[in-house]
Amino acid sequence: MNVTLAVKQYISKMVESSGPGMKVLLMDRETTSIVSVVYTQSEILQKEVYLFERIDSQNRDSMKHLKAICFLRPTKENVEHLIQELRRPKYSVYFIYFSNVISKSEIKALAEADEQEVVAEVQEFYGDFIAVNPHLFSLNLQGVARGRSWEPSMLSRCTQGLTSVLLALKKCPMIRYQLSSDMSKRLAESVKQIITKEYELFDFRKTEVPPLLLILDRSDDTITPLLNQWTYQAMVHELLGLNNNRIDLSRVPGISKDLREVVLSAENDEFYANNLYLNFGEIGTNIKNLMEDFQRKRPKGQQKLESISDMKAFVDNYPQFKKMSGTVSKHVTVVGELSRLVSERQLMEVSEVEQELACQNDHSSAQQSVRRLLQNPRLSELDAVRLVMLYALRYERHSSSILPSLMDELSRRGVSERHRRMVQSVVEYGGKRVRGSDLIAPTDAVAITKQFFKGLK
Amino acid sequence: MGQTINSGQQKLNANHMTRLLLLRLLQLVLSSCQRESKLSTTQLLLRDGATMGYPPPFEGTGEVKEGFLCPLCLKDLQSFYQLQDHYEEEHSGDDRHVRGQLKSLVQKAKKAKDKLLKRDGDDRPDTGSYESFYYGGVDPYMWEPQELGATRSHLDLFKKHRAARIDHYVIEVNKLIIRLEKLTSFDRTNSDAAKIRAIEKSVVSWVNDSDVPFCPDCGNKFNIRNRRHHCRLCGSIMCRKCMEFVPLPLAQKLINGTREALCVQGSPGQSQSPPAGGGSSGMGSRRGSISSLSSVTSMLEEKDDEKIRCCHHCMDTLLKRQQKLEEKDHMPDIVKLYERLRMCMEKVDEKAPEYIRMAESLNAGETTYNLDTAGGLRLEVQKYYELIDALSKRILTLGLKDDPQPHPKALQLQRMVRYTATLFVQEKLLGLMSLPTKEKYEELKEKRKQEQEKRLQQERLAAQEALKRRQESERNRPPVSTNGELPQAPRAPRMTKAGGWLPSADSVHTRIELEDPLLQQIENIQSFLRQAREANRTDEVAMLEENLRQLQDEYDQQQTSLAISLSQKLAEEESLQQGEFHRLEAREREEREHWGPALGSSQPSYTWERSLNIGPAGGFQGEEDTAAEDLTPKAERSPSSLRAFPALTSQEESPPRLRSLGGHVTPPGGEGQNSTSLNPFDEEDSTPIEEDPSNPFSEDIKREHKEVTNGKKEYNPFDEEDIKDDKQAETAPGNPFEEDDDTDPGNPFMEASGNSPEVSTNPFDGEDDDEALPDLDMIEEELLLQQIDNIRAYIFDAKLSGRLDEVELLSENLRELQHTLQEQKKKKH
Repeated sequence: MNVTLAVKQYISKMVESSGPGMKVLLMDRETTSIVSVVYTQSEILQKEVYLFERIDSQNRDSMKHLKAICFLRPTKENVEHLIQELRRPKYSVYFIYFSNVISKSEIKALAEADEQEVVAEVQEFYGDFIAVNPHLFSLNLQGVARGRSWEPSMLSRCTQGLTSVLLALKKCPMIRYQLSSDMSKRLAESVKQIITKEYELFDFRKTEVPPLLLILDRSDDTITPLLNQWTYQAMVHELLGLNNNRIDLSRVPGISKDLREVVLSAENDEFYANNLYLNFGEIGTNIKNLMEDFQRKRPKGQQKLESISDMKAFVDNYPQFKKMSGTVSKHVTVVGELSRLVSERQLMEVSEVEQELACQNDHSSAQQSVRRLLQNPRLSELDAVRLVMLYALRYERHSSSILPSLMDELSRRGVSERHRRMVQSVVEYGGKRVRGSDLIAPTDAVAITKQFFKGLK
Repeated sequence: MGQTINSGQQKLNANHMTRLLLLRLLQLVLSSCQRESKLSTTQLLLRDGATMGYPPPFEGTGEVKEGFLCPLCLKDLQSFYQLQDHYEEEHSGDDRHVRGQLKSLVQKAKKAKDKLLKRDGDDRPDTGSYESFYYGGVDPYMWEPQELGATRSHLDLFKKHRAARIDHYVIEVNKLIIRLEKLTSFDRTNSDAAKIRAIEKSVVSWVNDSDVPFCPDCGNKFNIRNRRHHCRLCGSIMCRKCMEFVPLPLAQKLINGTREALCVQGSPGQSQSPPAGGGSSGMGSRRGSISSLSSVTSMLEEKDDEKIRCCHHCMDTLLKRQQKLEEKDHMPDIVKLYERLRMCMEKVDEKAPEYIRMAESLNAGETTYNLDTAGGLRLEVQKYYELIDALSKRILTLGLKDDPQPHPKALQLQRMVRYTATLFVQEKLLGLMSLPTKEKYEELKEKRKQEQEKRLQQERLAAQEALKRRQESERNRPPVSTNGELPQAPRAPRMTKAGGWLPSADSVHTRIELEDPLLQQIENIQSFLRQAREANRTDEVAMLEENLRQLQDEYDQQQTSLAISLSQKLAEEESLQQGEFHRLEAREREEREHWGPALGSSQPSYTWERSLNIGPAGGFQGEEDTAAEDLTPKAERSPSSLRAFPALTSQEESPPRLRSLGGHVTPPGGEGQNSTSLNPFDEEDSTPIEEDPSNPFSEDIKREHKEVTNGKKEYNPFDEEDIKDDKQAETAPGNPFEEDDDTDPGNPFMEASGNSPEVSTNPFDGEDDDEALPDLDMIEEELLLQQIDNIRAYIFDAKLSGRLDEVELLSENLRELQHTLQEQKKKKH
């Protein structure tokens, strides 16, 4: 059940079945990120795909010596663009792949536009999700909910995404969802509906224990996402922002030009793959080892290349060295920036209080810690708000809650109105009233997990 | 003793390990199988801990069973693929828990392997890399193998809808073309207006003027000033503004193009050359549509003897058609260059691994390959890199000097191709390890020899010891197993106590080179067979022989298919070479002219001719041999010619080419053309090692006659050249590049452009010849007949695929055509 592999297989299949010759990949906004997250440019260049175009781009020249591979979501706009494209074809042959189920009427419309007989293939390849890691995918949606119910268009996109994942992995699952959440229920029903409708597609070999699709609502645990994270990938995501496995480092002071944006992909980066889930401390050691290793391999003194054998050795080692130097400089920069942020924002202290809030049940010491930290001028606005949020969630119904005074403290710090209002919103979103289970009451972690699983049943 | 482990197989295992294809492989399996039961026929191997020199690795059982065993029924299945098939056939229906069982099995096997490997004391790099590359605890390699996700094709539906539309479209176009043909098939300039008009009207029935009060396109009312015009192609009416003209040249082009497409070859061709010159006859040019009374209107009207008026719908269709026709013949430069580029890349992909294998072997001091051969191959590969670089550079700069700069996207494409080529070169070229120098190589060889001897000694010692122990421990066993082994001390270790045959040591050695699993298998069995013969086990010999026969049959089949594809490739290459030779010859001639009737210059040209003959002759051994005899003396003479003009590039080239000829002739087997890697089993194996270096070499040479190869064969005819070798070494490496920069990049295009116009103009040539036949009607008729045939074929096709509506449409079309044909005939008589 490797989602990255699933998408990769789909794409390489598309490219392979178009035969040899120069190719252009025609995509839409979403499929562009679907493809780019699993393939690097050089990988796909090796498959003779030299151009990447958006179907809606007007600035495309007619290039009849190229084969076009269209990988598109089956949206109305895309079909319309494609019809226009086929009426006046810019490329010699078209291999069309839709990332999800497309209606028969749209196929007909396309067929009628293809007067020049340029279409060689029309298929559905269910790569309709962004495969971030082998076991993690995302749909990169924002604002899926309005209050406690689905934004209708988002529900259908979510359903499409989920069903496409199921199809890509060839699984016909049993669906379980969180009963207390209306949104989970709606989504589960919606997925079920598609499976029933497209029963032919979901006709996979039955297994004794059917695979399980488990749908959970984030509002059941609002606390975890508010905590600061201390493993590598999570920290990068939290502190630097990880979008489709890319980090934007342009805000880092004194960054060199080619490190403005770096890709962190476990697929091509061994160091990252090995340290993805390791703690920050361990990463420190590992990066030190990496550096040392690098120093050893580095050609000793550039000017020392006197004899021919020196040159030869240098040339032999150079590609490896260059690759390594890329990795090293990338990770050193990233880790350096992370530790800069940690000390600048005093994340150690913040995280300690966060943990105290989340895991212990001592109101008086908790409120003291929060208050103390809020008075610390080096604390960032976001961290301050998050602390207050945590406090508000944790001691929502505590008799002697100091939330109002904390809110005052926030406004004294000059925290923006928008952020201050978010405290209340979080409580509305994930407060006690909403939660299906009580996340906080038990004091130790084992009990929490126990409770958590009970809540699912 | 650990060396007797079938190392090839272990390598296989290790590889699979890394992939963890749970279902497919079977690792070492712990089993308590009866010792004797499964030994004989297969390469299954039982090892006794005692013979291995260390205690049994697994408690309880004394044996490790190695081979492709089915995990469920413990059947041995010879090869990985057979096992896979077997598993899919026999056990696919079994319960899912099999998977779990397998997993545990693999785990066990892994543990066992780790143990074994540690004992063996060789750390395998592949296990290391496997271990190091996982996603912090979530190891995707441990996940089940994953096939391509679900897909669904809509192509049939799409085609169904499209076919309906396309047929309609095709018929429309054909109709227009036929009418266009009719409209242009008479002499417009010399016919008077009324006659033209009559003919035009006969082609298509004109819409009644009174039916159309407004222009259907722009909606303007028709009156005396805004007059009606008829489309000559569909008969509809439009106003002057909405009217378009098909110029006669365009019409001709369309008709010819269509005719070419319709008639495969030998069409009577068109005889109607476009009427030359405008305004030749004043009278003919007038064709007042209503009357000739007002000269003003007739002046206003366009002269129609050079164009045919039509509505813009018809024009649109025709223009699309024209565009299509144009594109069909058009092949942009970038495509030509790109194809060459890809070809080079493929060559590199093919040659580089071969070279790396050679270099590795040489660097290890092995004598499997010849150092010079490897050097030659290296040069060749490097030359391809140069070529890739040059070609991609050309692609990059395509059209940059043109006045209207190419579209930015086209430039981007060029950049990307160049970038890919650079990546390719970087990745592959830098991976090319260097070769040891001659002296170094000798050293290495010596070292390796010593090592081998040492090892052999150790083995012998160990074997004797083991044998002693075995004899002690197995007094009560039947004596067959140890039969006749004592005298051959070095071979003894290959026999296990249980009597399973092991591939002999030398075959272990060669197996590394033999990539084909079948070959390996054959090799193995042959060595088993030898051992069995030596041990006088006739029953086993028979079984093994049977086994071997089957394998060889299988292999032969594989080879024939391979040979077929290869010979096709060869044919292509030969034609390419021919071109190359022609070029070289031409150059040579040029050179000769330049240098006057020089003494030696006639010599090389002669040899080139010879080589030309040999190239196509390919595998005819007899001819090759005689060629060798013919050539050698001449070849010996040729260096003198070289000395005469040491400064001449062409002369400098010739010795390498001659030498390559020598190499070409040398392999006694001469079967280079039907074996890609090496095919030592065509004859009764035994000496694959000697053959190895020669085979790829000769093949290479064949492919690249012009390649400068430093590789000298053992029986190189140029003995004297040793003296000049140094000088050669200096000039030879420079040569290919020189050649490259000066002529090569230019040449391929010359070649290509030289060929393509020939092909494309062919039909025109034919037509030109036929121009003598001015019989228009005949042509018309012919065309119609062809059209009718065409449509009949369409109908047939449509009927077959059950599209009845189409059949109807087509039949209608057919009727119309037949009707026109009748008319044509009538007119003729």
